[in-house]
Parts: sequence; structure tokens; C-alpha cells
Amino acid sequence: MARYGMLIDTTKCIGCYTCRTACQRQNGLLPDEDFIRFEQREVGSLPDVRVENVPLQCMHCEDAPCAQVCPTGAAHMGADGIVTVDQGRCIGCLYCMAACPYQVRVRNSRTGAVDKCRFCTVSAEQTGTKMCTCVEACLTGARIFGDLDDPDSQLVREIARTKAAPIAGDLTKSKVFYVR
Amino acid sequence: MTFEPVWGTIIAWYLFLAGLGGGAFAGAAYLRLRTPHCVHLIRYGRIIAPITVIIGLVLLMFDATAGFHNPLRFVFLLTNFGSVMTWGVVFLAVFVVIALIVAIMDLLGKGLKIPKWLDVVGGILGICVCVYTGCLLGVAKTFPLWNNALLPVLFLVSAVSTGMAAILLVGIFRSPSEFNKSGDFKKFHFYLPIFELFLVASLMFITANSAESAGWTSVMNLVAGDYSLAFWLVFILLGLMVPTILEWKMLFMSTREVEESRTGHMISAASDILVLVGGFTLRLLILVAAMPITMVQPWM
Repeated sequence: MARYGMLIDTTKCIGCYTCRTACQRQNGLLPDEDFIRFEQREVGSLPDVRVENVPLQCMHCEDAPCAQVCPTGAAHMGADGIVTVDQGRCIGCLYCMAACPYQVRVRNSRTGAVDKCRFCTVSAEQTGTKMCTCVEACLTGARIFGDLDDPDSQLVREIARTKAAPIAGDLTKSKVFYVR
Repeated sequence: MTFEPVWGTIIAWYLFLAGLGGGAFAGAAYLRLRTPHCVHLIRYGRIIAPITVIIGLVLLMFDATAGFHNPLRFVFLLTNFGSVMTWGVVFLAVFVVIALIVAIMDLLGKGLKIPKWLDVVGGILGICVCVYTGCLLGVAKTFPLWNNALLPVLFLVSAVSTGMAAILLVGIFRSPSEFNKSGDFKKFHFYLPIFELFLVASLMFITANSAESAGWTSVMNLVAGDYSLAFWLVFILLGLMVPTILEWKMLFMSTREVEESRTGHMISAASDILVLVGGFTLRLLILVAAMPITMVQPWM
């Protein structure tokens, strides 16, 4: 079974929000519902200063704190280690939002249920959507999606080459890796 | 990014009312065992308990929008026993059933026929509900202000304090003679805010020195930041210190005549109202002042 993960190269990210918009279109999200949150910070010291863009999204933690606290089992570890929210089961208590250390979960303002990045490639089997549009839409190729258990995948090779790491160390067992 | 608290006023009301109800039932059970002649005070506690908890639960369902629109989904609440909330649902469900049975029996004039074990079991479940409101927040590792063992204890003490204050407040106006005779109960109630002061101070010291800087930020939000006025003035001064001073005056420094006079009663009533205000303020402040660890990480 695959163990899907993603690499996000912040040195390539220009902060254009294309991934976020593409994600909203592909998943039919509301205008105020976005699965990717952008953070920016200044790095370096004068005169060598640049802005680092950090797109944050569900890290699909293997020890998902959201799934641990969800009282209804709506937030759960689905097939291939994808953390999923069953929209027909969620009561909208927001306990998962309080438990998620990355603040990347959003409440659907129409249904009241909580939602987040779905790693669409995998859901494609059910819904017929294409490859994660965030990966395809990225103008600078900052995103790579793949199987973390496949040593020959581009994802695993790039993680090794760029020494990419989870955004917050070992806070959770994150499956999204960042190049900084 | 500016962090928006996940839970706000509605959940603060829920935490407050659930704690108040659990505390009121435990208070009534204590009265039943210690001073069974205070039948009216016991009755007030038994009536307050289910009403406040049910109001709290209705607020909670209203806040859980997706469940509110599809009420059948609430059945799923009993599926993940790894979640503290699921345990809370169990405690609350059993507690509400017992509290309703006891309240109805009491109102039907069968208050003395209620078996003591039912009062004791209800009281224990009431305490479980109070502790649960603290554990609910306590297991969220993201927030150092919540993720410590002191919070459930603080919420328990505060909940019992508000529950007893509610009983006494109704007692002052509806049954002053019994209020005068419940010295033991009043003294117990007097010590709770003092204990709470030490717990709050400990929570602030420990959280401010948490391994995560978010602990420091959360404490600063309370003691010197946006919420400092509510924290110091409403919670610490009006909610804890003034009731302690007023009750100390009434219980230990006044003659019996003063304590049982109309003025004395009004002072006690003011003190009980302030305890209730403080209890709600505490929960609201704990909810809104907590900062997540990832907000203040260097990568932010």
C-alpha cells in the first residue's frame, strides 16, 4: 500500500496563490474555504533579504491529533494514510480544529462541517478528479506528490537531495515535507 | 497570521453551565448527607442541575452546526472512545438522566424517598462532568494554557464553587431561614475561591514557563495583554477576591444578627453573583487567550 506524501519547495514558491485557487476550483470549495494557508516571513539580514512563502496545508500526520479527538469518527485515517473528514459524519464541534497544531482545517460555512486538504490524487479513484491540481497548477514546480514508500519515486529522491523536512520538526509524524 | 480562537462565547457558556449544573448537583448531594433538614436548598440544587446542563447542551448542539442541521449525526458521538468528548457525552447523558429523575421526584414531594446512593452516584457523575470540561481542553496539545493537569482541577473547583453559589443565591431569596442554618455548606463554599486563587496562580506560573513560548504568550495575553482588564478586574478581583472578603466578613467577622439580617443576605447574594460572573469569565478567558504552539514558532 502506498504512503502518500508531498514536498513543497519554499525556495521556489513565489506566493502567487495559484495552488490555493486551483484547489478551490477542483474541490468545488466555497470562496471563503481554502485548504492552503499562506504564511510569509522575512529571512536573511540586510542587504541580503528575501521573503519566504510557506504554503501550509493538512500534513496528513500518521499520528493525526484530529482523528484522535474526533468524537464521531468523522476525522479518520483513510486508505493509503490519507487523513479524511467524512462530511456526512461531522457534527462541526471543531474539536479537531482545536487539536490540529497547524491550523489548516476550515469549517465549511454552508454545511458547518470541517474540511481540509484531501490529497486529491487518491480521491481521484472515487470522484474521477485528476492529479492534485495544486501540483499541476504550480507555476514554478514547487510541489511534488508521490509515494513515500517508493524509493525510486521523484518525491523520495527530491526529499533526500534537498534534505526536506516536516515544517515543525517531530511535532507530529507529518507526510508533507518542506525545502527551506 | 492573526490567530482566531477556535471556540468562543457559546462554548464558554456551555463549559460554565455544564460545570455549574454538575457542581449544583454535587452540592445538593453534599447538603443531603450533611444537613438533610435543608430540604429547600437541596431542592434548588436538584432543580438547577438538570436545567443548566440541558441549556448548556442545547447551546453546544447549536454551535455544532453540521450536527444541528443533521441531528441523527449526534448518534456517531458514541463511536470514538479515544476521544475525551465521547466520554463527556457518556457522563453528561447519564448525569442528565439521573438529575432529571431526582429533580422530578423531589418536585413530586418524594425528595426524602430518593435513595442516598442515587444522590451519591449523581454527585460523582456531576463531578465527572466538571472535570470533563477541563479535560476537554486539556488534551489539546496545541495550547500550553490548556495542555496541563492543573486546568481540570481549576475547572472542577470553579464549577463546584459556581454550583454552590447558585444554590445559595436562590436560597437567600426563596428560603432565607434555611440559608441561615446552612453554615457548614457556606463555609465549604467560602474556601473554594481561595483554593482557586492558588490554582490560577500556579497555572499562570507553570504555563508561562512552558517549554513552548506559546505558553508565555498566552499568559501575557491574560496578565498584561488584551485580556488583562477582564482577567484582573472581573475574574481575580470581582470573581475571586471580593467574594472571599465579603464571605469572610459575613461568616467569621459578623455577629449572628448581622449575618442573618436583610443587609447581610444582600451582601451574601452579591458575593454569590460575583462568583458566577467570575466562573463564566474564567472559562471565556481560558478559551480566547490560549495561543497555539505553531503560531510562535520561528518559521512563522
